[in-house]
Amino acid sequence: MIKFLIKGVIRDSTRSKFPIAIVAIGVFFTIFLSAFIGGVLQDAVEVNARFTTGHVKVSTLAFAENSTQAPLDLALLGMDSIKSGLQNEYPKMMWVPRVSFGGLLDVPDENGETKGQGPCTGMAADLLNTENGELERMNINKTIVEGRAPEKRGEALVSEKFAQKMKLKPGDVVTYFGSTMYGSMCFQNFTICGTISFGQQMLDKGGLIIDISDAQQMLDMEDGSTELLGYFEGGQYLDDEAMKIAQEFNARSTDSTDEFSSVMIPLKKQNQLEGLLNTSESMSEIMVGIFVLAMSIVLWNVGLLGGLRRYKEFGVRLALGEAKGKIYRSLLVEATVIGVVGSVFGVILGLAAAIPLQIYGMDVSEMVPSSNMMMPSVYRAAVTPSTVFMGFIPGIIAMVLGQALAGYGIYKRDTARLFKELEV
Amino acid sequence: METIISIKNLTKEFPVGDGAFVALKNINLDFKKGEFAGLVGPSGSGKTTLLNIIGSLDVPTNGTAEIMGKDIAGLSHKEAAQLRNKYVGFIFQEFHLLPVYTVYENVEFALLLQDIPKDERHKAVMEALEWVGLTHKKDAKPSKLSGGESQRVAIARAIVKRPAILLADEPSANLDSANAHNIMQVMVKLNEELDTTFIFSTHDEKVMQYLKRIVHLRDGGLEKDEWIKEATV
Repeated sequence: MIKFLIKGVIRDSTRSKFPIAIVAIGVFFTIFLSAFIGGVLQDAVEVNARFTTGHVKVSTLAFAENSTQAPLDLALLGMDSIKSGLQNEYPKMMWVPRVSFGGLLDVPDENGETKGQGPCTGMAADLLNTENGELERMNINKTIVEGRAPEKRGEALVSEKFAQKMKLKPGDVVTYFGSTMYGSMCFQNFTICGTISFGQQMLDKGGLIIDISDAQQMLDMEDGSTELLGYFEGGQYLDDEAMKIAQEFNARSTDSTDEFSSVMIPLKKQNQLEGLLNTSESMSEIMVGIFVLAMSIVLWNVGLLGGLRRYKEFGVRLALGEAKGKIYRSLLVEATVIGVVGSVFGVILGLAAAIPLQIYGMDVSEMVPSSNMMMPSVYRAAVTPSTVFMGFIPGIIAMVLGQALAGYGIYKRDTARLFKELEV
Repeated sequence: METIISIKNLTKEFPVGDGAFVALKNINLDFKKGEFAGLVGPSGSGKTTLLNIIGSLDVPTNGTAEIMGKDIAGLSHKEAAQLRNKYVGFIFQEFHLLPVYTVYENVEFALLLQDIPKDERHKAVMEALEWVGLTHKKDAKPSKLSGGESQRVAIARAIVKRPAILLADEPSANLDSANAHNIMQVMVKLNEELDTTFIFSTHDEKVMQYLKRIVHLRDGGLEKDEWIKEATV
């Protein structure tokens, strides 16, 4: 019987092609949009984690409260002991110090006189230690435009934009002017070992990247850092775990009366990322909800129109001795077949659009606004098994639900009345 | 002969506004196995309503209608469908073949509902098509058939499951004279060979001349129950 019904579905193009096309389009949009939006949001979280927030961040309480100003005088001291304590307690996590600072970068001419000057946003990381993965984490080797990463103290990377503006190239020497964590003036020469472009306006505007040992010496903050970032093994942010660790740490280390006591903040609570993460988590449900609702309404109407066309057929089937419940169930079987076929097409189309976007991405660096939250400059889709699943299953559900609503009238009507209405 | 349809004091009313329209009133009729009978009367006389009740598609308001020993009023939807499936065949004025299926598949459909194995289905379908002389058209779609051929396919579809009762509602209405005679001759032959009870609803003289019994209905009432010993053709 099912074979017989499927034969009818295949032969009757108005019964199959249009609903299949609708389901396929719906599934395509669900898969593509959820992969795209999910990918962008995941990337945004990851970019923030890699550069500024870590999966958890330890700083002084006062620094955390004024973090947008990066106040060096509120930096974390005794960092080594805090770091080793954390490493003992959470051995599966990687703890890396960072120093954020800001000052002026002076470019001298051949006589040593100032040729040009510009504000710079500095970041110091443990770049000379190859075991902590900082070069990979910050994607430095892949984003170097010219030259190489720092290999010894006194070397610096500058942003490509700044280098172009000041006509700098690897091997040139620049001077940093700023203040130490105690407020006294500091200046230090750096040899440019390379230029870099992260594709992040916040980092590329006037970025200076140096090794943390240079920063500690230059800023007079021995055994100090502005932040200590913690990363989970595998690089995946685990929200529940991060909240738990932060709670444990803060319970024993944070003293609200001491602004220099240390505090741990999970990624979610930084740079307005909570909203982004929550959106990311609920994106699947939102997309599926919209899809099932919209498609069901459309397919309900398609089912009603199809039902009107097939009234006589239903009448004949009643007369031949098919119970109306069986007719109704056969409509659902047809809907399932159409839903499966449409969903398969939709999945193929969705993956065909999303996978290239996942591999090649879409460069939107010119359009990304400047803000505390770092957004990826290349938008990529993220295709996962659940992306496919959440397009495929709702495709079938929408079709069956639409047909169920359309066929409900047949099921509920009195047989004689139905037979009469069926114009047999 | 065994009585297979027994109608006693049957009344059928349809609600109209605050009142009711009486479609059939106080009908008493019996049909025996192998009869070739017709319900005859003008439009609105209650022919189709009575045919629907005999076909277990409708139930009486009062009185009883027993088909194959089962009281129609007491059957659930599913039981009524089972009764139709097993014992009743329908032939319609407008043929109502399923357009996406071939002639063979249209006839086969009636058997699919009975879960008959494929080999047996094939044998029965070919036999039914042979009775109506359409084996050569088994792969044709209904759109390629003439009116007479379509009605013969509808007869094959009704007869393929060998029902005890075959109900035909104005079967000649959409056929020319030659085709009307042709399908009537097919039905006479089937009635004789299979001992199936045929009940027609008609006001067509071409059909009436083949009937062995004519039940005249007027305004929902039984006007005359006329037995004709021999068919006129």
